[in-house]
Amino acid sequence: MSFFNIKGTVNPLTALAQFAKKPHTLRFPEVEVEAKDRYRGVHYNDLQACIGCGNCSTICMNEAIDMINIAGIDSSKGDTGLRPRVDNGRCCWCALCVEVCPTGSLSLTKDYIYVTEDADAFLWTPGVDNPEGVNLKSFVSSKEHSLNVYGRVPMKELVGMERVKSFAEVVLGYEEAEARLEASRCISCGICTEVCPEHMHIPEYINAIAAGKDEDALRIIYDNNPFPEMCGKVCTRRCEEVCAMTHRGVEDDPHDKGAIAIRWLKRYVTETAPTAERIKEIVNPEISESNGFKVSIIGAGPSGLTAGYYLALRGFDVTIYEALNKAGGMTMWGIPKYRFPMDSLDKQVEYMESIGVKIKYNTRVGVDIQFDDIYSNSDAVFLGIGYQKAWTLGIDGDDMPGVIAAVDYLREINGGGTLDVGNKVVVIGGGNVAIDGARVSARHGADVTILYRRRVQDMPADWEEIEGAEHEGITIVPQGIPVKFIAGDDGKVKYVRYLKAEMKVEKEGARPSPVAIEGSETDIEVTTVIGAIGQEADYSFIPESFKDKIEINRGRIITYEYNQTKDPKVFAGGDTVNKTADAISAIADGFQAVKGIVKMLLKEE
Amino acid sequence: MEQELLDLLVEHFQDRIAGSVKSDKRVEIFTSTSAIEDVLMYAKNVLGYIHLVHFSCVDWIEENEFELMYAIFSPKSKITIMSKVRVDRENPVAPNIDYIWRHANTFEREIREMFGIEFTGLIAEKEMILEDWIEMPPMRRDFDTAEYAKKTFFDRPGREDAQDVRETIIKRTGEELPEFSKKYSR
Repeated sequence: MSFFNIKGTVNPLTALAQFAKKPHTLRFPEVEVEAKDRYRGVHYNDLQACIGCGNCSTICMNEAIDMINIAGIDSSKGDTGLRPRVDNGRCCWCALCVEVCPTGSLSLTKDYIYVTEDADAFLWTPGVDNPEGVNLKSFVSSKEHSLNVYGRVPMKELVGMERVKSFAEVVLGYEEAEARLEASRCISCGICTEVCPEHMHIPEYINAIAAGKDEDALRIIYDNNPFPEMCGKVCTRRCEEVCAMTHRGVEDDPHDKGAIAIRWLKRYVTETAPTAERIKEIVNPEISESNGFKVSIIGAGPSGLTAGYYLALRGFDVTIYEALNKAGGMTMWGIPKYRFPMDSLDKQVEYMESIGVKIKYNTRVGVDIQFDDIYSNSDAVFLGIGYQKAWTLGIDGDDMPGVIAAVDYLREINGGGTLDVGNKVVVIGGGNVAIDGARVSARHGADVTILYRRRVQDMPADWEEIEGAEHEGITIVPQGIPVKFIAGDDGKVKYVRYLKAEMKVEKEGARPSPVAIEGSETDIEVTTVIGAIGQEADYSFIPESFKDKIEINRGRIITYEYNQTKDPKVFAGGDTVNKTADAISAIADGFQAVKGIVKMLLKEE
Repeated sequence: MEQELLDLLVEHFQDRIAGSVKSDKRVEIFTSTSAIEDVLMYAKNVLGYIHLVHFSCVDWIEENEFELMYAIFSPKSKITIMSKVRVDRENPVAPNIDYIWRHANTFEREIREMFGIEFTGLIAEKEMILEDWIEMPPMRRDFDTAEYAKKTFFDRPGREDAQDVRETIIKRTGEELPEFSKKYSR
């Protein structure tokens, strides 16, 4: 090698050629590059779609997400009113928050540049602080890739035409593995508890089921609901309507929309305790010593029994007066046994009696015992008398033989009686009572037609009841207004004459009402007509002088805080008080009255 | 071709391995810590699986085991063999393979630090990513990341107004949550 290496001098100069080329780097900030698809930059939240369930905050392993109140977002049913705020100084952009967002409102954007001298400015409320993020969304949640499971574990049922052969229970219930799987879908936000009239501890008992602790689940349920098996089978389940898992829908489940099967899970837990003794063993309630106060309850329906159960636990001497020979109210006499079997109910009532609730059966107040006597011998009275009396149809011929009321029919059948309705039945009405009447008639071999004034989608009955009826071969004739019953030679009803109706919106914004089409008279041949257009209470047992003391307005008893009436000694609940007229509202009424009675008599909170 | 490869491996190692064809160009085999070196050597030197694509670990906490996964690839057959080995979670030791592929050394350091698995004869600095780490290895599933974040980092000022979702609802409805059920709350 020579002393002077020409290559060593010249070769580096070739680097000068780079001056003529385009640089590999970018001149930031003059030039910006758009981030790639699925880039995980700062968060964006669709504030309207978000329901404030807090799942993002729970999953965040860096504790970077807080749930906060922000101006302009109010809470409502199904929305906590809270929204997430992210500490971007802590965020590690793992995007788990997006993966678990049940509504899909949270996403990460392509925006990744943020410069500030104030580190505390890293606290961001996505959607509020970056409204422009709506156009920059890149890492979005999809139902397919979400860590949430959207479809519910299907419930097994008897098939339609198999059902009408007997009164066997239609819904078959979850197996243990199915229940665990379904329970583990719950994100435990608790949004459901707000719409439950009784505010049951739903996320807690579902988590207990998911963890395999069925006994704990039952104890949690019994904390404020002594009728879990009934609710597990026939509850109107408003909780499921607002479930966080419903917001993105499920294609093959248009009604439940993939809501956690809260009702079926409750049912599963109650089935793990098959007898009253077993319930007592598991729940093992603390029963206070007798406090010497006497409480009388009129009507052994859900509200009366609930009040009775919790009062007995608090040491009150509780007596329930029941006109009929079995307890349960409408859940015993109104709900058909294929939905809520007798032994399910008996088991629960038996358990209540075992902890000290006294029920006097076959004791009709006003006949067998006077209201005044009960009133003067008790420290508090609870009225849970329900809506027993059917409204008459108010149609020409509604008093002729063969025209009966659904509640009377159901009471007869549920009590073990036989009432022959013949082979052609027309049910008038569109509520749950109407459908029950129709499905029971079908089980007795009748061809059943339901005549309803409005459209099918206007029917107040549960969708699953309507669907159940259709599967069982029941014909629904919507937009049909009955006008006349025509008797046959034997004086019994032979034809129902009805007019077809069209739906008209009379006032803007009002719900469309049926208007009869003239000349559209149609006759259907019948053996029995079952009317189910509503019920009312029978207050005849209350002396006139007393009726003024406890305001009764338009058939309802007016109550104040803790379901107390104008007479401080009298509390009331159930269908005669609340407008929702379902079992869970009645239970809630009974529970409130217990709080009121405890407060009034024991002078404590 | 995948099945042929699997048959060849099973024929050679007999009951020391088991496996299946997972999909097109992908073969999965299960073996033991005592056999894994032989399997990898044989695959590399005889069958031409010359490239160690990936080497990683899964914590099967429910089964009290770790699973080491060695993905090796042949540029000729274009097949990837996923070789899996289970090690006891209580005493996690596996053989060092960095004499077969030098870059396995880096994978092993990472797995040692993140899962706490010892590789017999591995020569490398103890610390790789974590500094002065005194907790349990952080990629183990029983490591509570949220708890660690809570005790290690302070909350930025301005976060005091954070609300608990369940409490917010309870406050609004007047629900009385019994004490014993609170362990099931989120």
